Amino acid sequence: MSENMTRRSVLKNLAGIVGGILAMPAARTCKAAVQNVLASSGAPKGYDPFQHKWLMALDVDRCIGCGLCVEACKAENSVPDGDFRTWIERYVITKADPASGKSRGETFVDSPNGGIGGFKTSLIPKEDILKSFFVPKMCNLCEKSPCSQVCPVGATFESPDGVVLVDKNYCIGCGFCIQACPYGCRFLNPTTHTADKCTLCYHRITRGLKPACVEICPSQARIFGDLKNPVPNDPLQAFIANNKVERLKQNLGTNPRVGYAGLDEEVR
Amino acid sequence: MDKLARFFKMPPQIIRLVLLTIGIICCYFTARYFLVPPSFGEFGHYRGDALQMIASRQPFWAGKASCLECHSAHADKLAKGDHKTLSCETCHGPGREHVENPVVKLPKLDVSLCVRCHEANPSRPKWLHQINPHNHYTGNLCTECHVPHSPNDVP
Repeated sequence: MSENMTRRSVLKNLAGIVGGILAMPAARTCKAAVQNVLASSGAPKGYDPFQHKWLMALDVDRCIGCGLCVEACKAENSVPDGDFRTWIERYVITKADPASGKSRGETFVDSPNGGIGGFKTSLIPKEDILKSFFVPKMCNLCEKSPCSQVCPVGATFESPDGVVLVDKNYCIGCGFCIQACPYGCRFLNPTTHTADKCTLCYHRITRGLKPACVEICPSQARIFGDLKNPVPNDPLQAFIANNKVERLKQNLGTNPRVGYAGLDEEVR
Repeated sequence: MDKLARFFKMPPQIIRLVLLTIGIICCYFTARYFLVPPSFGEFGHYRGDALQMIASRQPFWAGKASCLECHSAHADKLAKGDHKTLSCETCHGPGREHVENPVVKLPKLDVSLCVRCHEANPSRPKWLHQINPHNHYTGNLCTECHVPHSPNDVP
């Protein structure tokens, strides 16, 4: 014990520590406010995530397999080559041999480079094809998303407006979410080393624009809308009303929100 | 008061243990205070500021609405034909630079663009007009016979 450790000095030090701890929240709030003023210039102002519920629906019969949506997504979100936030799958189902007594032959699924550049070559001659179609795939916007359940740091989450997002500042790149997603919609971004996925173009929809893939799709195979603020002749409401809408892998209990019309039993 | 006095009459090793426990709990909360970001838990089990951060990215595609501000005549024509579902940038390419500075012109388009969607493919739906580009027409340009902005008309 030093000699100058008096009651007065101990009390002074204690008061200093308590005062410091009490001042911390105020200082942090000030810092956050200053940061908001300086850094949020790019973010849209006046957007309330509780006033919206975004949803995308996909019409298989409308998809022409041009692959423009995949390219639009890549350009909009700087998606690295070889990774996809959305992609197009081609399903080819061959005719069954009548002797086999089956209703359909084999199913072939391919997605050359995610559908970028379109689907030019077909491995199966036209006369052997029973039916064939394109299926656009993307994040299914699950209500009980397995990807956010497994995240150990709370870096992926379901936003109040219905989008599953990744906080890349806090993602540690462990890849649990990539394994957890039953739809294969996530990838590890090789430049940021964090999990990456479809954000439903969050930076566009918060500004009142459509997601890039919806904007560019020439055939309206992708239908986008806000369930909380339906517009007159809302395309999403019309799509749900006029189609038999299904969802992918419902048996897994992830409660996917993205609806598909015209799905075949082969589509997983 | 009586209880407090009894607490201090406890054996010193117990008092030390209690103080140590309080110290550890204080350390935990102090560390937690500094490690958990301020906006964590604002909307749920995540950083609330992440929403703003993700939304602050700048859009790449300008969108049909910004094209219509100047080119409404083209849009009216487009809305009457089968190409009414197309966005301007679907064919003309990204137009943000042109929107911000109309002096910047968009590149001219070529035949590969029409073929991209209208080339015959057994996987394509039946409602789509499809052609075999090798025997459909031997000339150079699709626009010799078709009007892209109103595909139902003949030039």
